[in-house]
Amino acid sequence: MEDIDAMFSDLLGEMDLLTQSLGQETGPAADLPSSTKEVNFSTDYADWNASLNELEDKDLDDLMSDLMADLNATEEKLAAEIRGLEAPTPPPPDLPPPPNGQSVQAAAASPSPASLASAFPPPSSTTSPPPAPPSHSAKPSKEDLEAQVKAEKIKLALEKLKEAKVKKLVVKVLMNDGSSKTLMVDERQTVREVLDNLFEKTHCDCNVDWSLCETSHELQLERTFEDHENLVEPLSAWTRDSENQVLFQERGEKYEVFKNPQNFYLWKKDKKALKEIKDKDKEILIKENFCGSSIIVPDLESVLHLREDGKKSWKQRLFQLRASGIYYVPKGKTKSSRDLVCFVQFDNVNVYYGKDFKTKYKAPTDFCFVLKHPQIQKESQYIKYLCCDDAWTMNLWVTAIRIAKYGSLLYENFQTAQKKAVVNSAWTNRSTPSSSNPSTPSPTVKAKAQSQANGHAPKPPPGPVSQDFGHLPPPPPPPPALNDPLPPPPPDPVFPPPPPPLAAKSSPKAVGRQQHLQGNFPPPPPEMNNLPPPPPPEESPPDFLPPPPPMNFLPHPPPPTSFGGMDQSLPPPPPDPEFLPPPPPAPHVTGGGGPPAPPPPPPPPPAPVPPLQAALRPTGSAKKMPPAPPKRTTPVQGGGGGGGVDLMSELRNAMQKKRSNQ
Amino acid sequence: MAAWDLSVIVEDLGPDAAPITISVASDLHIGGVILKLVEKLQIQRDWSDHALWWEQKQRWLLKTAWTLEKWEVHADARLVFMPQHKPVKLGLPNGIILKLRACFSNPVFQTVMGICRMLGIRHPEELSLLRPVEEKKKKKDKDLSEDIYDLTEVPLSSVSRPCLYNGMPPHFADSDKLEAVYKMLSVTQPPPAPEVIAKQYRPASVVDKAHINGRWLDSSRCLMQQGIKGNDRLWLRFKFFSFYDIDSKYDVVRVTQLYEQARWAILLEDIDCTEEEMMLFGALQYHISKVSQSEPQMLCSNAALDDLETALQSLEVKMEGESSSASELLKTMTAPDLNDYLKIFRPKRLTLKGYKQYWFKFQDTSISYFKSKEESIGEPIQQINLKGCEVAPDVNVAAQKFLIKLLIPAPEGMNEVYLRCDNEQQYAEWMAACRLASKGKSLADSTFQSEIDSIRSFLAMQKTNGSQGNAAASDESINPHSLVSPRYHKKYKPKQLTPRILDAYQNVNQLSLTDALMRFLQIWQALPDFGLSYVVVRFKGSRKDEVLGIAPNRLIRIDLGVGDVVKTWRYNNMKQWNVNWDIKQVAIEFEGNVNIAFSCLTADCKIVHEYIGGYIFMSTRSREKSEVLNEELFHKLTGGHEAL
Repeated sequence: MEDIDAMFSDLLGEMDLLTQSLGQETGPAADLPSSTKEVNFSTDYADWNASLNELEDKDLDDLMSDLMADLNATEEKLAAEIRGLEAPTPPPPDLPPPPNGQSVQAAAASPSPASLASAFPPPSSTTSPPPAPPSHSAKPSKEDLEAQVKAEKIKLALEKLKEAKVKKLVVKVLMNDGSSKTLMVDERQTVREVLDNLFEKTHCDCNVDWSLCETSHELQLERTFEDHENLVEPLSAWTRDSENQVLFQERGEKYEVFKNPQNFYLWKKDKKALKEIKDKDKEILIKENFCGSSIIVPDLESVLHLREDGKKSWKQRLFQLRASGIYYVPKGKTKSSRDLVCFVQFDNVNVYYGKDFKTKYKAPTDFCFVLKHPQIQKESQYIKYLCCDDAWTMNLWVTAIRIAKYGSLLYENFQTAQKKAVVNSAWTNRSTPSSSNPSTPSPTVKAKAQSQANGHAPKPPPGPVSQDFGHLPPPPPPPPALNDPLPPPPPDPVFPPPPPPLAAKSSPKAVGRQQHLQGNFPPPPPEMNNLPPPPPPEESPPDFLPPPPPMNFLPHPPPPTSFGGMDQSLPPPPPDPEFLPPPPPAPHVTGGGGPPAPPPPPPPPPAPVPPLQAALRPTGSAKKMPPAPPKRTTPVQGGGGGGGVDLMSELRNAMQKKRSNQ
Repeated sequence: MAAWDLSVIVEDLGPDAAPITISVASDLHIGGVILKLVEKLQIQRDWSDHALWWEQKQRWLLKTAWTLEKWEVHADARLVFMPQHKPVKLGLPNGIILKLRACFSNPVFQTVMGICRMLGIRHPEELSLLRPVEEKKKKKDKDLSEDIYDLTEVPLSSVSRPCLYNGMPPHFADSDKLEAVYKMLSVTQPPPAPEVIAKQYRPASVVDKAHINGRWLDSSRCLMQQGIKGNDRLWLRFKFFSFYDIDSKYDVVRVTQLYEQARWAILLEDIDCTEEEMMLFGALQYHISKVSQSEPQMLCSNAALDDLETALQSLEVKMEGESSSASELLKTMTAPDLNDYLKIFRPKRLTLKGYKQYWFKFQDTSISYFKSKEESIGEPIQQINLKGCEVAPDVNVAAQKFLIKLLIPAPEGMNEVYLRCDNEQQYAEWMAACRLASKGKSLADSTFQSEIDSIRSFLAMQKTNGSQGNAAASDESINPHSLVSPRYHKKYKPKQLTPRILDAYQNVNQLSLTDALMRFLQIWQALPDFGLSYVVVRFKGSRKDEVLGIAPNRLIRIDLGVGDVVKTWRYNNMKQWNVNWDIKQVAIEFEGNVNIAFSCLTADCKIVHEYIGGYIFMSTRSREKSEVLNEELFHKLTGGHEAL
């Protein structure tokens, strides 16, 4: 619940910003996203710390299409589920995409009745559904078969419940060429999956060196994420105002140990001999060290410089690496194992490369590495700084520490990466043209990754979507808004119909805010109207932009029928959500791209029960795409609502501060 | 051909019986000799395992079709008619002595194969036999008591290929007595009393460690040829540290004995490790002994292992089915309540306030605290998320001190927070909760209760040790000194050791028995000195003794003065190696024109030769996946001149 609240307030804040920028378009030029710089927004909740940058339109398109795909998929799933559970619901394909109220939905969810309807069922499934299935089956469960069915249902329900809590982040990934891509990452997604996603978006050669790296601006650190890691977790540790970045780069050192194991396992030999080593011997080394019943860590021992706690000096010590940690030989003692003193064990630390430590910490060389708990983001005595004499030694240590820490996972990651590299390169060669549309490929990938959260269904063919948008009035251009919208996704799952922001706030605490928002709503519409005018910078942006217009009451060109529904719903906005029949409104909101401004209007319109059926109808499908735009509208609303919320103002302040700094 | 008299000693008649004389001709084959002998003996029994041993020549006359002439046996030959299989007292890696019948006529390699088949150990090529270290006189009375494990009754013919009956090789299923033997083989022994560890011989240096390797029997020759007699004591040990294809289903005995060997290697400091590693080994031993006590049924239910998955599944369904209503289901997913008055202290804050009492509440992975229970509905004074934090105990049962030290990561660094509990129960619950939370698990996690239990049992351990010193350990309380090498007996008191082991224990306490055993073996194998067998040698051209370390993949040269590895040679760079049996020198040629030669001082050069050849043999195994052991290749690689 809190998450949802946070998300919504985040969104509102964004909307606020957007409206401001819209209003003053001519005014403070500075408002526009300091395009090159990365801006990280984080809500009060660290976990929601989505780092959004000013997105370029293209980025937005990509993101949107991803999101849409996700929505469709979820919807399909839901439909299937519903069918399975009870009523003969219409075929899943027909269902509108926006079922799960995720940030995505906010963007994609169309105000169309259909979408609303669809949204409704899902919510119920998420909240109450888990219990429901079990009970159903429970009664008959006297026979094995039934028990099994029941077990499956329970499982499904549990999964749904879990899904509801899945956290998602919008991540801006910097490319080598200085451009960036924006992705939505689900907390269950591994780095490997995100890389695959990026491969499809970038058409790079997919070799095993491609990595996602995390940089810490404040500490001047960087490290490559391991492929098996979940991306969301480490990013969640970033502080709100962090200038950390995620880079997509080729990092030769990532899997160097599998390409040239001799450099790590036979490092004592002279370099010339190592160069001449035969492939066969390399294989043997890998087999010996990674394929046995135990992973063997390179036998490392060197004199390294250790940065003394709290002092500026660096002290030399003889360090040894063992599978169980890094040790040093105390003064006057022998190197025998029993005398070694444990310096650090790897359970709770990650290893990072230090950048430019000569300047920053007066290190003897620039070849430094650091061990720290991933959550530590600022200078602290709990960070261990080590300095090597040369780059070779540093790589040796960092790689060997990774082997000690991750063990066989590292080798498995490499093998997967290698397979991917081969398959991908073949595949991209063949299908490059078709894959050009980023949206298509990414959804599928995601589907795999997040089996349930993100639908697999890439139903919304990118083409049609864009066309629809084209018809729509140019959505509001401000890129910043886009950044914010992303966060919302998580909430929906929890509350079936995360009604628009309002709904989210429906939670007791939020009520007050909701009212505020509503009060504010009235104003938004006008703004909304204004919004359309802002010419969409590009065609692609329209995807996002278009939706807003519909929200605003703009007639959706493509989905006339649905629109009608929307319109009806729109009127309701004025009434306070509280008064409205809570359940129905909520779904609407979500469907209507709840997170953004749209929420207010939707709540009332959707007839709780009917919507479901409507949703079932195939008609909704085409129109669903438009919903996405709501974000733009949101800004307007946000402006209204934001005022009342501390969070929002805080956010705004942060933004402004940032801008002014720039 | 002329007949002449051949006298044969029949062992079964006793040491004082006169030799039996039979009349033979030189063209009589050995089979005929035996026939005549048996006829003359007129004893009705099964003589099929018996054969003739030629004492002067130290050889068996096993080829019964060969004539006396071909064997070059003349009237002066002293032949002994005796069984090929005789009982030996086999010291197992777990320290227990088992009496069984071993083959005295085939090369030791085959003898070991036979023993392993009987014990149910796969991959016998990794093991071999050692002459035991002589023990002090006191042993005598002990011998008697140790003989309870006896496998000599088992008919040799009944020992067949690996197939399991009731979870064990079928020949163990015949009687309760045999089943007890199997249990001894397949279940880990309880931790030894600290005095037992302290009494055992511990090598103090690499040279000490080298001596044991002079005791390996020659795999190419039979026991008789190596002076072993019936009822002699022998040790069975893993010799080649290259464990192939361990399968927890078929390798119960193998893994157990391997664990025992590793455990003793660590307890007796035969292999060095750091203090941190020792604590982890201690924690694993504790866990293993606890789990193997609590699930002895595993022994017999092994057959059911196949169905384990199904069983688990049905269990899952059952458990889930029990919560038939939605609300109940939800309930099971919500954590048990945990809230209480505790005292908190934050050393980093420079306040001198010390511990202050608040009302604490555990939620998910966070603790929140409030001024009082009454105010716990409102906003907490603070909420601390424990995910990713470090949890350390600071407990003294005697002093009633129950501290939980938390090191909580934050962007600025780690925050230290101490929680003080009033009593054991409270401590166990909160400690368990903190541990789970640090791993990102909530109280709803199924391991919460077992975590509490294990903390309590550790507290119990401290209690008994604190009050009664080294009192005999009951099931619940194991002396922590039983889990670590004597070095740490001196360094730490049991109650100091307990929290350290407990600390390591939290990372392993959820492992199954098999997983815990495997983890122990893995950590052992990851030690830098793992797999090294030492021999003191003198390199050609050098005047001082040095140590050669033989590892599964390489040879290392250790300078005794410095104690350091000065050179490493890998087998895969080896072109050839030769042994000059006359001057007892091993010469090895590596790629790149590297030649080394050394003579062996603490072991016969045959032993070194066998080690090198043996490891090369071990490395060939993975390629040919066949189940059949390539005995011929082994002999080729390790036999030396006998193989020619």
